[in-house]
Amino acid sequence: MRSRIRLASLACTAALSLLAAACGGGGGGGSGQGDADPGTPQRGGELIVLEEAGYSGAWPSGLDPATNTTGGANLTEMNAIFGGLFQLGEGEGENAEIIPKLASGYELSEDGKTATITLREGVQFSDGTPFNAEAVAWNFKRNSESPCTCNPRWPLTKKDGIVVKDEYTVELNFTRPYPTLINRFPVSNVNWVASPTAFEEMGEDEFKQKPVGAGPFKVVSNTVSSELVLERNPNYFEEGKPYLDKLTFKAIGGDQAAYQAILAGQAHAYEGMTTTPLVEQARNNDQITTTIQPATSPYVVQLNTKAEPFNDKRAREAIYYATDPEAINKGLFNGWYPISQSFTGPGGLFHQPTVPGYRTYDLEKAKQIVQDMGGLEVELGTLKTYVADQVNKALQSQWEKAGIDVTIHSWELSTLITEFESKKWQAMLQTAGSWDPEAGVGVPFRFRSDSPFTGVFDPKLDKLLNDAAATLDEQERAELYAEAGKYISDEAYAPFLFAFAPANIAAKGVHGPGLTTKIPPMLVQPGILWEDVWMSQQ
Amino acid sequence: MALTRSPSLRLIGRRLATAVPVLLGVTVLTFLVLNLMPGSAAQQLLGANATPEQVRQLEQELNLDRPAVVRYWEWLSGLLTGDLGNSLASGQPVVDLFAQRLPVSLQLIGFAFLISLAFTIPVALLAARWPNGILDRLSMMVSLTGLSVANYVLALVLVVIFAVKLQVLPSIGYVPLGESVVGNIRSLVLPAVSIAFPLFCFYTRFLRGDLVEQMRGEDYVMAARAKGIGPWRVLVRHAFRNSLFGLITIVGLNLGTLIGATVIIESIFSLPGIGQLLLQGINTRDVFVVQAVVLMLAFAVVLANLITDLLYAVLDPRIRYGQR
Repeated sequence: MRSRIRLASLACTAALSLLAAACGGGGGGGSGQGDADPGTPQRGGELIVLEEAGYSGAWPSGLDPATNTTGGANLTEMNAIFGGLFQLGEGEGENAEIIPKLASGYELSEDGKTATITLREGVQFSDGTPFNAEAVAWNFKRNSESPCTCNPRWPLTKKDGIVVKDEYTVELNFTRPYPTLINRFPVSNVNWVASPTAFEEMGEDEFKQKPVGAGPFKVVSNTVSSELVLERNPNYFEEGKPYLDKLTFKAIGGDQAAYQAILAGQAHAYEGMTTTPLVEQARNNDQITTTIQPATSPYVVQLNTKAEPFNDKRAREAIYYATDPEAINKGLFNGWYPISQSFTGPGGLFHQPTVPGYRTYDLEKAKQIVQDMGGLEVELGTLKTYVADQVNKALQSQWEKAGIDVTIHSWELSTLITEFESKKWQAMLQTAGSWDPEAGVGVPFRFRSDSPFTGVFDPKLDKLLNDAAATLDEQERAELYAEAGKYISDEAYAPFLFAFAPANIAAKGVHGPGLTTKIPPMLVQPGILWEDVWMSQQ
Repeated sequence: MALTRSPSLRLIGRRLATAVPVLLGVTVLTFLVLNLMPGSAAQQLLGANATPEQVRQLEQELNLDRPAVVRYWEWLSGLLTGDLGNSLASGQPVVDLFAQRLPVSLQLIGFAFLISLAFTIPVALLAARWPNGILDRLSMMVSLTGLSVANYVLALVLVVIFAVKLQVLPSIGYVPLGESVVGNIRSLVLPAVSIAFPLFCFYTRFLRGDLVEQMRGEDYVMAARAKGIGPWRVLVRHAFRNSLFGLITIVGLNLGTLIGATVIIESIFSLPGIGQLLLQGINTRDVFVVQAVVLMLAFAVVLANLITDLLYAVLDPRIRYGQR
């Protein structure tokens, strides 16, 4: 009797689990990919946007640009409140362009050491105070003196590094050529200009919670890392915009819950979906618009060349030959993502799809090297995220076929940082690159010897990367990055996998750049232009 | 004099006296664990790109470079004056964060308890009234299923059925009580049921088992039946009252585990509660937030145990009059 009851319970449990896994995706047919013909923007409505609680849905240090240490993750909230001096527009790769928004333009001197930024005239902060060069310079100075990652780390001259030339012109003077300045803006905290008047009146602590900017929306209420309610900024400079009356960001624990909330009509959009089966379901649901963003940051297996076993080039080569990115891409991601052999992706600048002489998958060669070495043991770590964990496990099983003994780890960010700082790590699965290789978590972050997160200490590579960052000539930059990519490959410093890109999903009737159209991500997710987002009014 | 003779008051006094070292011990342990965890709070706050010099500078500003004993003592001194410190991450007073979030979690837990007990008692009574009958077997099957399914899986299933398919309840968000009573209840139904259902399964099996044992084996039950008292009356007025001791004990002991459930459930349903705050605090090494939440949990467990003991006194006159 009892065994029959247990059997029945087991059947019920299995049924419930299957039901949960099936997720109840409604609708059918329709590829739901991208936003073919949005129509004429309509004014009005409240948009609820869900953000993953462990990333863009967390703003623990508040929303003040000078102290928000998770500014890169909170790109979407910060853009909504502050807009930006410069933003990245729609398109892919070289077709995407930096658009002056609160700035009206810029000029770089011939030697690349002076940047003159002109501001849009007649703009006000949401508190009615003027948006001018004094305010911008105040923000630049504040950010430049901040100890956190909010600091743009500009190589400013000690004297007259930031100069107010006139009411709407700010000049920046650098100690060395800095041609990548403008490309870095969209993902830098300095892009978000806060109202100095509001800061003085409110004080630092209150300002972190209810900051005042000149963006399309202003803060109504902020429950830290839980819910951020914004309403239209009546002083916004673009007439007729933003289209939305209200914009609310809510933190949610994962893709599944977010997807269901949108299906239930409780929310309208979710940024950064990574769970492949759910992305597939969303793409097949004609009630949802799914936009897979352009890929700009390939996955890379960093190898620590200062520690065993990867101080030995043979060990590094074995990893190259044992790694089959095509199989991982197909098995885990339905082959959606482009394979990379370098630190650039098709959504970014200077894309280099193949590298001459790149060591591609060859299991026999890998086995031979491991045998010649008398065996190979590797500890492979990564940041604790769903996608990275899946890829790590796939790499483990591939490398083990070559006779490599692999132990995998996945860590929270702070533990990962500690591992890097210990200098004892062996291999790390990370991402490298950005729309501009110098911006965000760009290639120097992973490969220049002065970075705390590099496994490569090679002056030749440093010079290539520094020269690429210092040249104003785009063609020369492309050549230098191509050379750097080949050098990394020749020295077998780090095999690349594929350029992963998350998907943004939105309920039908929601439209907007970066949300239902493509904008290349500078740092994981694209910068949505919230002033242009609208909902069909029914 | 009369007050000190009251067993209940003496019980409260003893419990409060032992609570102090327990709570102190919890805070010391928490402080130790947080300080032994890899990574630095300052590093976490400054982000991955911060230089060692910047990390050191912030550690000095936040007094994180001082010896752990000194920092602990300062925190404890502040606690005695009601100051739980400021969040290292956001700078907000921890007391303010609690004031925002505690009501949400308390409502959620309270609602979950209510739902679980409201169903546990009648189902267990019915199952015990006809042991091995259809209802008993059905409740056992449901209980085993409920205990086998993780509450976050159940949460997602409930959302699929009630929010996505039937669209009768919201899948995310919290409506404050002051804004709308009906909205508040609706926003908490699915999260509360996600927590309540496994509790219901556990409590039902426990209570049913105890009731059946009482009904089969106890002399007072046989005596009551011999006097001609009907089985329902024996079950409800006699056996149930005795079984309540066990039920109250496990309900009290369960309180601490509920907070673990709220962390996940609050994330899934986007509820701005204490569970979410604790998770964020751990991720950002926000010592003062974590310390305060853990202290609150420990206090809640102590209080639950005290209430449990007091309820024993209510149920058992022998305890009330100190004649045990």
